[in-house]
Amino acid sequence: MPALRVLAVQMVVDSTGFHVDIPSGSDSTIVFAFWAGVAVAAMTFITLAVIIIMRQVMLRRERIHARAVAFWKAIIIATPADGVGKIPPLRNRDMTGFLEVWNEVHEPLRGSTTPHLARVACEVGLEERLYNRLSDGRFHTRLVAIIAMGHVQNAASFGRIEKFMDDPNPIVSLCVARALMQIDPGQAISMFVPRIARRSDWSPGSIATILNEAGADRVTRELSEATLQANVDMAPRLIRFLASVSPESAAPIIRNILLTSLDGRLISTCLQVMSNPEDLACVRPLLVHPRWHVRMQAAVTLGRLGVPGDEQFLVSILSDKQWWVRYRAAQALMKLGFVNTDGMHRILKSQTDEYARDIIKHVLAEEAMIKHVVAAEATAAA
Amino acid sequence: MTYVTAMIAFLQGVPWIDLILSLQWLFLGYFICINTAYLTLNYISVFSIVGYMRDHRADYLPTNLASYQPPVSILIPAYNEEGSIVSSVHSLLGLEYPEFEIVVINDGSTDNTLGEVIAAFGMVEFPEAYRRRIETMPVKKIYASSRYPRVRLIDKDNGGKADTLNAGINCARYPLFCSIDADCILQPDSLGRVVRPFLEDPTMVAVGGVVRVLNGCAVRNGLLEKVELPQNYLARFQLVEYLRAFLFGRLGWSPLNALLIISGAFGVFKKERVIAIGGYRSKTVGEDMDLVVRLHRNLRQEKRPYRISFVPDPICWTEVPTDLKSLKAQRMRWQRGLAESLAPNVGALFDRRGGAVSWLALPFMFTFELLGPVIEVLGYAIIIPLWLLGLIPLQSFLVFLFLSIGLGVLLSTNALFLEELSFQMYPRLGQQVKLFGIAILENFGYRQITSVWRFKAVLYWLFSFSKKSRWGEIARDGSWQRYSGPPEADAPGRPDVPTVP
Repeated sequence: MPALRVLAVQMVVDSTGFHVDIPSGSDSTIVFAFWAGVAVAAMTFITLAVIIIMRQVMLRRERIHARAVAFWKAIIIATPADGVGKIPPLRNRDMTGFLEVWNEVHEPLRGSTTPHLARVACEVGLEERLYNRLSDGRFHTRLVAIIAMGHVQNAASFGRIEKFMDDPNPIVSLCVARALMQIDPGQAISMFVPRIARRSDWSPGSIATILNEAGADRVTRELSEATLQANVDMAPRLIRFLASVSPESAAPIIRNILLTSLDGRLISTCLQVMSNPEDLACVRPLLVHPRWHVRMQAAVTLGRLGVPGDEQFLVSILSDKQWWVRYRAAQALMKLGFVNTDGMHRILKSQTDEYARDIIKHVLAEEAMIKHVVAAEATAAA
Repeated sequence: MTYVTAMIAFLQGVPWIDLILSLQWLFLGYFICINTAYLTLNYISVFSIVGYMRDHRADYLPTNLASYQPPVSILIPAYNEEGSIVSSVHSLLGLEYPEFEIVVINDGSTDNTLGEVIAAFGMVEFPEAYRRRIETMPVKKIYASSRYPRVRLIDKDNGGKADTLNAGINCARYPLFCSIDADCILQPDSLGRVVRPFLEDPTMVAVGGVVRVLNGCAVRNGLLEKVELPQNYLARFQLVEYLRAFLFGRLGWSPLNALLIISGAFGVFKKERVIAIGGYRSKTVGEDMDLVVRLHRNLRQEKRPYRISFVPDPICWTEVPTDLKSLKAQRMRWQRGLAESLAPNVGALFDRRGGAVSWLALPFMFTFELLGPVIEVLGYAIIIPLWLLGLIPLQSFLVFLFLSIGLGVLLSTNALFLEELSFQMYPRLGQQVKLFGIAILENFGYRQITSVWRFKAVLYWLFSFSKKSRWGEIARDGSWQRYSGPPEADAPGRPDVPTVP
């Protein structure tokens, strides 16, 4: 009777035919290991099958989605001149593709709409469908619907989505904040600004975009008040946003901080965003501030906004013990319109400090390099 | 035959044979623990990747304003990289990121690396006021590009990779630095993606990204054009290994804030934090892991809130060795680096305030990553002779071999599953089937040989302690570069316009 052992399975061919013996009996460890191996092999093949099925399902979904996008794009971006007749019914499976096109078309419109888009929204019953999708558990479906609500700007949507502004997921909460600011900026700003201070997980770039989209006149008052009331941890974040939306409104607050605050980080932030040359008198004393990053930012600010006479303040810190202060001071001197390369060479000759001389040489070489690149590009363009 | 039978009979009579036989239970217990640990990491990764893909599958919010994206210094340490350095820098010049600089650091190469960079980018000597914030070997010259204002070159005396990175940190101008290997290329959006966690969490100090296998892919003008599987089987085995290492090895630890490895090939760090702990340690060959472990310890000692994270979508492509000699050298260097990074941190094990790093990640690394190959090789060395001598029944031997290989294949298949859940870089059915085939094949020879090399590395480390950071020399296939050429000067999206650094 021929018998063959493969793994632990004994395959036997005898007079009764072929049969397979699996491990069994006294050694329970072997039996357990064998069945564990079988389970693992089964899991492996199931995983492989899942991978292949997922891929096929995804390919099919992508095909449907691409078809929906192409179909609805043609209708949504059509103009009356294209003679769009009856708007076809929107099938549920096309809804995500439709909304993606809808959002894409609205993005550059910045809150406005067209009669054609309004007609499309009306005929497909967009609002009711959007409300239905809010209760959908799928992340993408919900978010696309929230973004679309922001574009539709129906006041009735405000109450339906405001509760999601405190969603722990920063993407959901920021999308809701943006939609609310699009629907009713007056009401939304009082909810949005306090949360800017609280939500450190909100990306600064996205916050700035939302504030800029709403416009300075709508956000300045709330933002100024919040900045004035903020503690030293939150104030740098808020002052940056305020200065980016409304430099004029930020100027008095910045002046006040530069004159009174003792917090180095807050002063540094104010120096980075200040844009009013009239406040330079508050900046010059900061060139001898005990914190090096304040001295560095003060030098940068003088380079940006300085007036004749400021070069002597900058020269005085060319031998600062911090490399970055020396470097930014030398760069600032170069940026002052009235100190040209010759002026820098004169300053270089007058310096006795080795570090000051090194840093001036460094910045002069950098400047020469930049001029060379610009000239080469201009020649190439010509 | 009589002698063999007699010897078996003799061995079976030896009293301590029972002790040796009982070792099989030790191996079995270890085997159960290691696979349970890997499977647990695997399932944590599934949740992480599903959450990550959910949040980032589309750009739901308007693009970040450029002024809010922190500028980044990209550091490329280079030692004898004349074949790949120019392509890498060209690839980096194509990054879609508002403000960055590229600092190539030539560590006293003995080939023409320096000349290649000088010629390709029009480098001219620059009187930089160099600050030595971290001690390094002497810097000979600093160059700046006369054509690409973003590019600088440091030429220094040879001191190893860690020393080279430290020189780069000294020269870096920006608050974040990104270390990249000279044989790597990034996708245009990779830098933006790896920096994103710094914008979303102010306590972030370091972020690592995925490294994938470049062999077999096509690169044109420094940009990845086509993703394909490598032709070389050794590279294919490594492809599956990289998927395992990055998609669940790292992603599994990230949610626990216990990530101990950010690959030297692609990671972004807050510069001041790294300088505060003295930069990279040059007395190790595993400087990347050593840095991350020290960051964890230092930040926990200072009781600062922090995060060290891993994100799966910023992708860095690297060329892997295609010959056994280079692969052996690389794996032995990695294992030695692991040992050197872990040894000084024995004190952090089970530290009361050490959190998941002390209670999970470090014990895992010690027990499974450092000792894993030792136990595995000892397992082969003991179990196989015992079976040959008839002291372990054939049935037991084969059953455990079946289970061991089955678990190896399952782990690799799970990595393929994670890949399917995320980026689908290899979408064709044929590619998936081939990868599955590789996941099976690697268990027959490849896995064992890499374990033997790692085992040897542990022994070498044990018996020769003081070795300083050296460069791993790998024979490059370089086939991916056959399409490479200089970027078109006016290609859209190339940020080659002059900017004030």
